[in-house]
Amino acid sequence: MNTIHIHDVSLRDGSHAISHQLTKEQIIAYCTAANNAGIATMEVGHGNGLGASSIQVGLSKLTDQEMITTAKENLTSTKLAIHVMPGFATINKDLRNAFEWGVDLVRVACHCTEADITERHISYARERGKEAIGALMMTHMASKETLLEEALKMQTYGAEGVVLYDSAGAYLPKDVHEKISFLVPNLNIPVGFHAHNNLGIAIANSLTAIESGAQIIDGAIRGFGAGAGNAQLEVLVAVLQKLGYETGISLYKILDAAEIAQEKIIKELPTINNLSIISGLSGVFSGFSKHVARIAIENNLDPRDIFIELGKRKVVAGQEDLIVEVAIELKNNKINNLKH
Amino acid sequence: MRKKLKVAILGTGNIGTDLLIKIMRSDYLQCTAFVGRNLLSKGMSKAINLGVKVSDQSIDFLKNNPELYELVFDATTAQQHVMHAKVLKELGKIAIDLTPAKVGILCVPSVNLSEALKDDNINTITCGGQASIPLAYTLGQVHPNIEYIEVVSAISSKSAGPGTRANLDEYVETTEAGIKYFSKCQKSKVMLILNPAIPCIDMQTTIQAIIKNPDMVRINLEINKMVGNIQKYVPGYRLLVPPTYEGGRLIMTVKIKGVGDYLPSYAGNLDIINCAAIAIAEEFSKTKIN
Amino acid sequence: MDKKQIDFLKKDCADAASWSIEMLGELKNQKILIAGGTGFLGSWVAEFIAYLNDNHQFNISLVILARNTDSFKDEKKHLGTRSDIQFISKDIRNINELPEDISYIIHAAASPDNRNHVSNPIETIATITKGTDNLIDCAFKLPDLKKFLYLSSGQVYGKSLPNKELISESDFGSFDCNKITAVYPEAKRMAEATCCAYSSQYKLPIVIARPFSFIGPYQLLSKPWAINNFINDALNNKTIRIIGSGDPIRSYMYPADFVVWILKILISGKNNSAYNVGSPLGISLKDIAEKIIHVAQTNVAIDIKFNNHDLSHYVPDIAFCEKDLGLKINYNFEDTIRRSIAWFKLLQ
Repeated sequence: MNTIHIHDVSLRDGSHAISHQLTKEQIIAYCTAANNAGIATMEVGHGNGLGASSIQVGLSKLTDQEMITTAKENLTSTKLAIHVMPGFATINKDLRNAFEWGVDLVRVACHCTEADITERHISYARERGKEAIGALMMTHMASKETLLEEALKMQTYGAEGVVLYDSAGAYLPKDVHEKISFLVPNLNIPVGFHAHNNLGIAIANSLTAIESGAQIIDGAIRGFGAGAGNAQLEVLVAVLQKLGYETGISLYKILDAAEIAQEKIIKELPTINNLSIISGLSGVFSGFSKHVARIAIENNLDPRDIFIELGKRKVVAGQEDLIVEVAIELKNNKINNLKH
Repeated sequence: MRKKLKVAILGTGNIGTDLLIKIMRSDYLQCTAFVGRNLLSKGMSKAINLGVKVSDQSIDFLKNNPELYELVFDATTAQQHVMHAKVLKELGKIAIDLTPAKVGILCVPSVNLSEALKDDNINTITCGGQASIPLAYTLGQVHPNIEYIEVVSAISSKSAGPGTRANLDEYVETTEAGIKYFSKCQKSKVMLILNPAIPCIDMQTTIQAIIKNPDMVRINLEINKMVGNIQKYVPGYRLLVPPTYEGGRLIMTVKIKGVGDYLPSYAGNLDIINCAAIAIAEEFSKTKIN
Repeated sequence: MDKKQIDFLKKDCADAASWSIEMLGELKNQKILIAGGTGFLGSWVAEFIAYLNDNHQFNISLVILARNTDSFKDEKKHLGTRSDIQFISKDIRNINELPEDISYIIHAAASPDNRNHVSNPIETIATITKGTDNLIDCAFKLPDLKKFLYLSSGQVYGKSLPNKELISESDFGSFDCNKITAVYPEAKRMAEATCCAYSSQYKLPIVIARPFSFIGPYQLLSKPWAINNFINDALNNKTIRIIGSGDPIRSYMYPADFVVWILKILISGKNNSAYNVGSPLGISLKDIAEKIIHVAQTNVAIDIKFNNHDLSHYVPDIAFCEKDLGLKINYNFEDTIRRSIAWFKLLQ
């Protein structure tokens, strides 16, 4: 099996990095370049997906409709994808419209132990003749047996693939191998991996996933994604080329797309800063970084302490409100400690 | 000796059985029938042991024995309630609907209890609704023109059964409608998150709002008063993060621990609906009988 | 349902009757109960019995038992208002007694929707095991029970054996009983074991049918099964997507054959025997997609991607039904696809 499907999440995961303030011009610029480079599928939208624009996880500059229709207008051969979390987006209010606006593929996502909440959204997408892929998030928090069970459920619902997300950037290569190689032979649908770079091994993890049998790899241009960013897409293309895999992507054109993205969209290139390292080690969702940083400053706390406490509580994606609660508790503890 | 209102429970699963235990403790209610479809269910055994009349003839039993009860708690399904509601209306009985059917008036006891009593079919909305609507309502009383209210609830995975999981969309849309209706705010968003952490987390609901120049002193006062009112019928309800203005938004968080009558205590989400249903029934008892 | 659809089904029933009427004579004047009677098989049994009564004076009385009979009566008014069809709205786990004059029972009460099995595994097991137990127990009290047919599933065979193209009634493959996807087939096997127990201890006349795959009227194109998706895509001018190599082998029986087979097994099936029900004509997913495109007269492309090692085959050996009961396949694969596509086009 020589073909690897690279799925571009730049304009969705990348949204976290700019607090969901993507503009139409930015969407047009990147879509055009990526389409030209031969990207097969690309996600656009708020970092937490369709219908997620909120105080809880951040308000986006553009509406879902604006983002999706703008992207659709500027993609010809690339299929337009969205990320959808049941509990955030409903079929009637959100998904139905997204299909009207031209979405071809949905990644229906949930916390890695809760696949049965994706049944209706996956079924709906398949009924509408669209592609549906299951996305299990924060997968470092579950055993390979649990992940297989959840993946089997998604396969049964009609998912045409299942992707394991390392939402916290917590995986080591041996973890990737253990989980991916367990899932691949036990499923009839392709398995994928979505890396985050908190511990500096997103590309290595992605390669391990491929060696373990994954056929779908998520990447972002210049790594543009939440926290320390995702696997750097153009680097993936180069490495896979060197290893002899087919991706359908033109190396030169994706490098050009990277230049365009860097110039027009990416204010700060993703780096592995202190918070990313701590959040990766604590196993906390990468998307929390900016919220934690802000709340730490407002409450005069060390953001690293907040992350570690969130990790202890096994917080899952979408629980940003817990940051405030933890901050208040840490502040009170500090005051109490000072008293003694 | 105060006269107790005679009530029946329709639906003998965990929710119905928990209601039964609460009613046994109540000074205002007496359970005269516990009916469903399966005499072998655990709930039925419990009822029999408690000396309560049971039947597996479901709504037919209620049709044939109207003299036994005045009010019915329906803990079956939305589809079944639509049919039950018609039957009960014809019999002139009061129905408290714990399903998502929403045939009658929506009620949050700490907000519109007296108004709800005028109707003969009262719906308990959703768990997130019961937890957040009183607070959204209070904000709406202090600041009549709120731009936007948002509610996020996190519940333990264990407390969310197949029924909840298959109906997340309905939960979101019903709760949003409830928030808008009671707070008079035109824009609202509701989200639900399941967390599998062990030990099980208690239900936690955060309300956030965009309000221009919020009167924090008054908001804190009124919210604390409202929390006190809710605690009268939901003992496990408490304010975790008091109304706080930070980052340009108002935020407050409540935690709901279940009483643990029959449902486990981590299922605060299920318990709050049962508590609300009991509060509504007790009010009927207080005003109609005595 | 409109007149065109009803006439379509009547034609299928007429075709079915044309070759089977002699072998089904024993059903005349009998009272048949079908549990789970509002589903796919139940709907076809109702259609065919209505046809036999109207055109051949079979005088069969049909009782449809299901948890919810209202939607059936609403959607299929031509059946719901007939005097020879009675309805009982009850869960088979809770039914205490059956009308005394029932002589035949078809137990088809289980959801074949795999999505439900993995989202609601506890309820799935309970309905299948407790339901079967309870229903057979009620059947025990019937004074004139001639046969109880349990509709099991071809899934009880587990993983297909590597060198056998056709699965015969004794070809049991392996199971990983700790996987969530094993819940449904394990429950079905338990129900078969229950049949064996009652048959042995109470001398009840019980027979088992193991259905494989079907396509035709009263199937829903929205179900996430390969052939349903292929037809849905073809009729909506969309590229047909095949995940994998396209090599797995499947077969499909037309429901007008299904209903005849079930009724014949009901009448003449040997006690405590299991009979495969399905088409023995195995075809690869790739070829199925191509046939559908050809029959639907559309130009959509087939996109085969994400190659894997799935070479499974799910095709029954039907020698037992052929030899023991004289049954045959009346609709070959091409006919099955033609009639199915014609039906779904009617619905568009």
